[in-house]
Amino acid sequence: MQFRVLCRGGLLSLRGMAATVCAALLLAGCGGDDAAGKKDGPDFARLDAFPSTYSIEQSRPVLISGATLLTGTGEKLENTDLLLKDGKIARIDDGIKAPRDALVVDGKGKWVTPGIVDVHSHLGNYPAPAIESSQDGNEMTAPNTAEVWTEHSVWTQDPQFPLALAGGVTTLQILPGSANLFGGRSVTLKNVPGRRVQDMKFPGAPYGLKMACGENPKRVYGGKGQAPSTRMGNVAGYRKAWIAAQDYKEKWEKYAAEGGEEPERNLELETLAGVLNGDILVHNHCYRGEEMAVMMDISREFGFQISTFHHAVEAYKVADLLAKNNVCAAMWADWWGFKHEAFDMTEANIAIVDQAGACAMIHSDSAVGIQHLNEETAKAMVSAQRAGFDIGPEHAVTWMTLNPAKALGIADRTGSLEKGKMADVVVWSGNPFSVYSQAEKVFIDGELMYDRDNPARQPRSDFELGIIEAEGERL
Amino acid sequence: MKRFLIQLLCLGLFAGAAHAETLLIKGGKVYTLSGQGTLAQGDVLVRDGKVEAIAPSISERADRIIDARGKVVTPGMIAPLSELGLTEVSAASATNDYAVSGESIGSAFDPRPAYNPKSTLIPYNRAHGVTRAVVFPSISTWGEGAGELHRVFAGQGFAIALNGNFDSVVAEQLGQKAYLGELGSQLAGGSRANAFARIETALAEAREYLNNRDAIRRGNWRELGHSLADLEALQPVIQGQQPLVVTANRASDILQALKLAEEYKLQLIIQGAAEGWMVADQLAAAKVPVVIDAVNNLPISFESLGARFDNAARMHKAGVTVAISGPGYGSTHLVHLARQSAGNAVVHGLPYEEALKAITTNVARIFGIEGGVLSPGGVADVVVWSGDPLEVTSYPEQVLIGGEPQSLVNRSTRLRDRYLKPEQGHEMGYKF
Repeated sequence: MQFRVLCRGGLLSLRGMAATVCAALLLAGCGGDDAAGKKDGPDFARLDAFPSTYSIEQSRPVLISGATLLTGTGEKLENTDLLLKDGKIARIDDGIKAPRDALVVDGKGKWVTPGIVDVHSHLGNYPAPAIESSQDGNEMTAPNTAEVWTEHSVWTQDPQFPLALAGGVTTLQILPGSANLFGGRSVTLKNVPGRRVQDMKFPGAPYGLKMACGENPKRVYGGKGQAPSTRMGNVAGYRKAWIAAQDYKEKWEKYAAEGGEEPERNLELETLAGVLNGDILVHNHCYRGEEMAVMMDISREFGFQISTFHHAVEAYKVADLLAKNNVCAAMWADWWGFKHEAFDMTEANIAIVDQAGACAMIHSDSAVGIQHLNEETAKAMVSAQRAGFDIGPEHAVTWMTLNPAKALGIADRTGSLEKGKMADVVVWSGNPFSVYSQAEKVFIDGELMYDRDNPARQPRSDFELGIIEAEGERL
Repeated sequence: MKRFLIQLLCLGLFAGAAHAETLLIKGGKVYTLSGQGTLAQGDVLVRDGKVEAIAPSISERADRIIDARGKVVTPGMIAPLSELGLTEVSAASATNDYAVSGESIGSAFDPRPAYNPKSTLIPYNRAHGVTRAVVFPSISTWGEGAGELHRVFAGQGFAIALNGNFDSVVAEQLGQKAYLGELGSQLAGGSRANAFARIETALAEAREYLNNRDAIRRGNWRELGHSLADLEALQPVIQGQQPLVVTANRASDILQALKLAEEYKLQLIIQGAAEGWMVADQLAAAKVPVVIDAVNNLPISFESLGARFDNAARMHKAGVTVAISGPGYGSTHLVHLARQSAGNAVVHGLPYEEALKAITTNVARIFGIEGGVLSPGGVADVVVWSGDPLEVTSYPEQVLIGGEPQSLVNRSTRLRDRYLKPEQGHEMGYKF
């Protein structure tokens, strides 16, 4: 069954499900909350090239009454009401009176969390069914493909999107794979049905740049007899590219300031320059502690910030350095052993990173795992407690909500139950850190996008219609 | 030699060397998964590696008492169809012994000589409550050997106890494994029909060999498509003494496998069975058990479009014996995650005790090995859990294998303890 194991976790398999990667740029805190802000100077991020057409039609108020709220800001509020209005979190209080026309959800015995944010997914670019012709996640043709944008690969009808929604995932970052030193741009999506990827794009979310350390790039290109074939070859590849990007950025800045002949556009360098000016966040697939430390030095050498190390199996070894450098780590609860760089796994990884003061989060990199991120977080929480740390649900919930939102530069808009934020909310049947609890209702921008009690309010992709029985439903 | 044996004994390397101890596990909620049912509060007495008695209260003296009040006691988990002891790092080919490529060997492949009881995967999974495992070879479809494979039989299985002892193989020649469906098709030249034909041809030749052994061995027979070693290895299968594990996910592939089982009177086990719920009645009627990945609800291939969370519940309801394996991403390194999968199966309708059985009793029963229940005279593979064993926040506090308390230390806990507070300097290199 190794072939299945290898489909995930950063290995390239026959099925072509490559692995992944990541790192992002942090501007403030552990993430780039204002990364997408307008700046003077050249527009390297090009947010308007394929603009988001995301919208939510209805905004009937929603009152969830008397539930246990994990706010994502460190609080657990029992028997509390939550009002969603105009797509936003409007009020958290006792005894809120339901507005006229409100959808009232009896929250007695239920728990409520912010919508889950998965910082690492391949839904849409490695869709199901995983047939060769739809494996569009990794442009494995050169070690630097910073010019590709993974949104151009996303198949919106991937039936895995609705499954993730049923698991409480409201926002997810789709990343290119990890074969390349620079894999290309990521895209952050709201988990809603869309005819086009633009309909799903999280409005205003900054782009990410996927980078990859370690085994994958050196194996893929070394195996073809080209660079890189070693980890030092990887690093030379990063530094050469950043030197070129610095030069490109300076040319365009000079042009913006002084005019003259317009420099030639280069898609690859444009993305890297967008990192250097802080508009694009670095999401860096990096397993080993040593390599994370080297990557942080490279970011200092060239003056950019890494947002997040993904698949950071050894983040715990350098947790203090992550905290000092303001870099997040996205981790699994227990995955290990599929490659040598994933061998030194400890289940206390998230706990140790968190306790060292760095921004820690769970991530999936898996269309199965993304449906169970609450369970994965629960395992990490128990590992924290077994390691002697005093960490309860009110804190652990940030590992699947606020911290990934920070890593994506959208924590000012989603990731916690705070007044004015997007009403991305999950109503759980019970404590979400139990295997027996399920997401019962999932709201995105205040709209009920998934209702376990109402099959008519459970989205299905085009692919699923008539796929088993012409007149029946797949699920 | 004698001195060598003494050294082994001193090092504690002989399983069973310390069997004399009696243990009394007191006051836990005991799921026997046997005729004794569930005791809300009960004691389990263990002597000489066996369970001696289970009762609401046992007052017999014991060398050691384990206080299980407020805890839950179950048989140890048994992993079905793992590659434990045959792999260390999936992507490091030198550490892998679970598959061979080429045509020279198929059903005769016996991976036992490659089994490594000191694999780091063993203490790790033991610490998570796995006490036994069925180990089967598989066919690798990735990496250097990919695409060169032209057979559908992977070879023979065996079973291990996860005590890390050199003599921890507890059952041999447990059966054969072969591939149908998409994987079979890939291995057999591009059509699942040919994978089916290959299995059928092998069985037919094995039968021919059985009926004409002497002539065939003398060379006085037509040329057969399989080596004598392969045909010998298939004898227990065609005589109904060993099961044949067949991978199949699509409902129609499962039905084809059932047909084959009927024709050759096979003890069939279906591995995968993503669409098993669609043919659950047929599986039940044929008394064919399944080994499934209970969290695989992805229509990840065209042969598993019907994959769904309540597959286990629906098959159980129809009367199919269900065993649950680790998830696809954890079929060996993380076999213990079958427990989380079983918990998910409960959420989707599998009765609670049936879910426990799916990771213990049913595995033992399907493969005909010891364990999987707590009953007097049975092997004392016992786990004392901090709470509900199917809950993700519970964990094993005590693990007994063959009556012996096991260490729960593993590389995950060692690395945790070394790096609990990571800091600059060289001292961490001296923390063990």
